[in-house]
Amino acid sequence: MARGSAIPPESFEEILAWLNPDRDVAGAMYVQLRHDLAKLFIWRRCSDPEGLTDEVFDRVAKKVKEIKPAYVGDPRLYFLAVANNLIKENFRKVKTHASLTDIDLSQQPTTEGDQENVDIQDCLETCLQKLSSDRRELIMEYYAKEKQAKIDHRSELAQRFGITVEALRVRVFRIRASLEQCIERCVERKSEQR
Amino acid sequence: MNDDETTTDALLREFLLGKLNDEEPERIEGLFVTDPQARERVLAVEQDLIEDYLEGTLSTEDSERFVARYAQTVEQRRRLRITKSIKDWALTEARAAQVVPAEVSRWSRLRSWLTPAFVVPIAAMVLIVIVVGALWLSRRAEHSTIERELAQLNAASTGSDISAPHELSPVTVRSATPQVQLDPAPENGTVELRLRWIQPERYSSYQATIHRVGDSESYTVPNLSVSSDGKSIRLRLSPHFRRRGIYQITVSGITSNGTPGPTDEYQLTVGS
Repeated sequence: MARGSAIPPESFEEILAWLNPDRDVAGAMYVQLRHDLAKLFIWRRCSDPEGLTDEVFDRVAKKVKEIKPAYVGDPRLYFLAVANNLIKENFRKVKTHASLTDIDLSQQPTTEGDQENVDIQDCLETCLQKLSSDRRELIMEYYAKEKQAKIDHRSELAQRFGITVEALRVRVFRIRASLEQCIERCVERKSEQR
Repeated sequence: MNDDETTTDALLREFLLGKLNDEEPERIEGLFVTDPQARERVLAVEQDLIEDYLEGTLSTEDSERFVARYAQTVEQRRRLRITKSIKDWALTEARAAQVVPAEVSRWSRLRSWLTPAFVVPIAAMVLIVIVVGALWLSRRAEHSTIERELAQLNAASTGSDISAPHELSPVTVRSATPQVQLDPAPENGTVELRLRWIQPERYSSYQATIHRVGDSESYTVPNLSVSSDGKSIRLRLSPHFRRRGIYQITVSGITSNGTPGPTDEYQLTVGS
């Protein structure tokens, strides 16, 4: 239900300038902040994270001129405070839509699950080809074991690379995040083509 | 967040499941939006949580909390399916790669070795292994040579036969900036790239990984130099990279403890 932000261009420029004097850096920070706020809304069980993120930026856009000169500290914390206020205001609207039975991933309703699972498999193969062999191998090795066995396996893997398990986890997370992004875009393209 | 010993993985997990009260969630959220390393750590813990959910190892209460946060919308459920597909693929591949040793006695194994019907194919196999091994070693040597060449090229402050630098923006920046295309492919000399660094953090050292789409090899170039304004990173490519194709370049800032920090990704097309 994201309704799209309607920030006037001059306010948008003000926001960028507030985030960072370098426009390219500010642009990257803006995109990241949008993702981060949407994530926070998800964690707080808000039903329209994208729409609420738009609302945060709309609200800041209206006040940015007056706040900016006197504000001390990281401006992203101001956006976070606005987001928290919004969550409080919308508290009664916050809903949980799913129950455990809704998301049995192996038994999804046909319309949502079956075709999409086929698409995901196709896209997984395509996107794995785009990874270099060492990255592909690392993902494969990292997820080669499940449950209790994976703990020992991952610490052996980390030792082999000469890094901590935590550093290994972050390294794998980055590869997996880009792989998932690739698959998601590919699945979206497939569903649009239908 | 790395220095903050109070912020354990267990605490982050409780945060992600909405189990924390008072000021703790606000503190973690503040770190999440302002500190890239903290963000990566929270997201990595979130990935572990997703994994545990998919493996069915969460308690009933945690599982319900998880569903309430991570499976509300069609998009979220799609993401869970994607994660599951990656895990399933990795498990299948790993199982296929496992060799199950047959339970045979030493004697029978020896006998099978001594039978001519087996000796000949085994000898042929050994020969193939030697040839493949030699080829592999030769490729490794070539790979090391290219990496050494890249390191030398990028260590030099000046150099001859270097083309005018090409500016590249990260692929994540959805601006009107077109991606750089070297068409026709340069016939000789060194190609110099200026990779625009848009992360807010600056590092004392940067490292690039170059990978040609469709190839299995990737090359790492350490200790890249930064432009005087700190906004771009210089990367020189040796003639090896004149091959037509799409090259993906990943640049990481190296943190003070020597581990790679946030990355920017670039794309370079050589030839049409």
